[in-house]
Amino acid sequence: MGNNSGNAYQPRPVSIIRTLPQINEHRLFQLKLEDGGSWEDFGHQPGQFVEVSIFGKGEAPISISSPPTRLDALEICVRRTGRLTNALFDMEKGSHLHIRGPYGRGFPVEILKGHKVLLIAGGLGLAPLRSLLLYLLDKRDKFDEIILMYGTNNPDNVLFKYELLGFFDRDDIKYLYSVDRDEEGIWKQYVGVVTGLFDQAELSPHDTYAVLCGPPVMYKFVLERLLSLGFPKDHIFMSLERMMKCGIGKCGHCAIGDKYCCTDGPVFPFTEIEKIKEAI
Amino acid sequence: MKVLARKDLPDVLKNWSDSYDVFAPSMKETGDVIFDRFDADTFTLEYGKPSLPQKSEFLPQSEVIFELKKGEYREVMAGSGKMLFGMRACDVMGMRQAGSFMKRDVTDPYYKSKEEGILKVVMACSGPQNETCFCTTVGSGPFAEAGFDLQFYDLGDEFLVEAESERGKQLIADGFFGEIDAAEAGTKIEEFKVHASKAIKEVPALKEAMERLRDGSVSEKVWDYFGRKCIVCGGCAFVCPTCTCFTVSDFQTQPGEGLRVRSWDACLFGGFTREASGHNPRGTQALRLKRRHEHKLLYYNETDVLEGLCGCVGCGRCSDYCPVHIGTLEVVKAIAED
Ligand SMILES: Cc1cc2nc3c(=O)[nH]c(=O)nc-3n(C[C@H](O)[C@H](O)[C@H](O)COP(=O)(O)OP(=O)(O)OC[C@H]3O[C@@H](n4cnc5c(N)ncnc54)[C@H](O)[C@@H]3O)c2cc1C
Ligand code: SF4
Ligand code: SF4
Ligand code: FES
Repeated sequence: MGNNSGNAYQPRPVSIIRTLPQINEHRLFQLKLEDGGSWEDFGHQPGQFVEVSIFGKGEAPISISSPPTRLDALEICVRRTGRLTNALFDMEKGSHLHIRGPYGRGFPVEILKGHKVLLIAGGLGLAPLRSLLLYLLDKRDKFDEIILMYGTNNPDNVLFKYELLGFFDRDDIKYLYSVDRDEEGIWKQYVGVVTGLFDQAELSPHDTYAVLCGPPVMYKFVLERLLSLGFPKDHIFMSLERMMKCGIGKCGHCAIGDKYCCTDGPVFPFTEIEKIKEAI
Repeated sequence: MKVLARKDLPDVLKNWSDSYDVFAPSMKETGDVIFDRFDADTFTLEYGKPSLPQKSEFLPQSEVIFELKKGEYREVMAGSGKMLFGMRACDVMGMRQAGSFMKRDVTDPYYKSKEEGILKVVMACSGPQNETCFCTTVGSGPFAEAGFDLQFYDLGDEFLVEAESERGKQLIADGFFGEIDAAEAGTKIEEFKVHASKAIKEVPALKEAMERLRDGSVSEKVWDYFGRKCIVCGGCAFVCPTCTCFTVSDFQTQPGEGLRVRSWDACLFGGFTREASGHNPRGTQALRLKRRHEHKLLYYNETDVLEGLCGCVGCGRCSDYCPVHIGTLEVVKAIAED
């Protein structure tokens, strides 16, 4: 757990190196460990999360947005929603907070090696997927073709905009994106839900792995599409979100059938959850 | 195995109180019996099924886990030097199952520190304590098989006393406890056990319900029916010896200082699974009741149920206390009849 105290609930001190505004109510925070530890020893994998504590405000699970190939800082991308996230948005460079982790089962990078990878993100779902995306790009020769499909509700809500724009100039990643609505008519790409992007990509389901992260409604439609395209069930991985309190399989909040999202997930192979009614 | 005269029990408890914080059944003025610090005047053996299991000794209803001071989270770890005298076998099994969950993979240090320190003394049941007891169906009673320090068998004028642990053996080394021939003790205990087990009703509907949940043939109507009745008080979970779900909250006590507290929570509450976005994967009371019962009877794989059958230890308290009669007994019956 990268925590020497023996108490799995003990938060570790970190400070904010920099805050980078994203879209409205979303910010990227770069963190530094303040207890002498290093991010290398922290040992996070793409798709894992941390529990973030702010003095007197509580704790919340937040995905790690940066890959283990970039260890200068741990990055988290946060949407302002309530008590803890409000307090985080009041913080600035140099402010102190706490984290514990890394927690959960991340994306199956070993399985993905040598294969094509299709990443499908919706909204804030890009936050955890970015850790995998950057990992794939940093170890580009280990993977075959990389396709990113990203959908947001409107053109103003594209996260990591500048990073993504850079992908248009690269020929080692195919980037497709969509917006649900474009009332001002400024969007030059696809308008409609993210599944519409499937018509723009040539996919070879049998040597491609699909990795999903997005809001609950997205899964149902994307899964239907993937299965009808002939993706084998064991080629589909998805990151699920649940209310979480402890992150270590004790508080019971995140239970999904016979699994716990915090320890058995948050990334699940579709084959593990397809029969659990409350999963998707 | 040792033997103790019934009349000597209060003196024994008094002696033990010199070394331990002895908690035993105590008759209150209102007529309720609760586990409280031993007091010879209120001590009683006529306590039937205690209204609550001793869960709160291991997982308090609310406990401070960190003190927030000078920008640090300082661990607050309470041990326990208590003796619990008079636990029932179902509750011992409940404690063991809950412990297996709280200590699997990552150990919950707060639970462990209390559990280890506590001396557990069981009073075996000679029959059902009320009409909702079903320990024999789930394999948790009426006597404990493991996980205790001492077990008392009430034979009327005397108790046979069995020690399971080294600590237990030392407790019964003093003069009050007499020797008894092993063969004679064996016969008496065997008789006690057979008689007690026979007196407790089997609930065949429980195994049928487990079977039906496993093959997915339970109709949603069962849950809809109970979902409409439930008043969402959470009582069934709070009185259950195997329910361990909790929430965590921070409180600021003064600028820069505060407490991190954890308290019981329950899957019966809508807010238990509601996400920050407002989305709730278990959006109806029917789904929440389904979860509670599936967790006890189908999804108990994460818990070592030990010699038990499932994640319910048959104490019957949910049936005793649910104000609208949605206990496990009522639910398994409805499933079996569905
Ligand atoms: C595995 C995992 C990964 C996650 N990754 C990320 C991530 O990368 N980025 C991210 O931003 N989020 C992420 N989340 C979600 C994040 O954990 C929640 O947004 C966070 O817990 C919100 O905490 P909070 O204290 O700010 O909100 P809370 O105060 O808990 O508020 C939550 C909701 O309740 C409402 N609310 C608050 N107070 C009240 C009140 N008094 N009365 C009524 N309603 C109220 C708020 O409006 C809000 O909708 C993740 C969650 C999980 C499980
Ligand atoms: S589910 Fe009911 S009968 Fe079973 S252990 Fe819990 S409270 Fe007792
Ligand atoms: S005790 Fe009964 S009414 Fe209360 S939450 Fe449980 S099932 Fe619902
Ligand atoms: S977050 Fe507590 S059990 Fe998963």
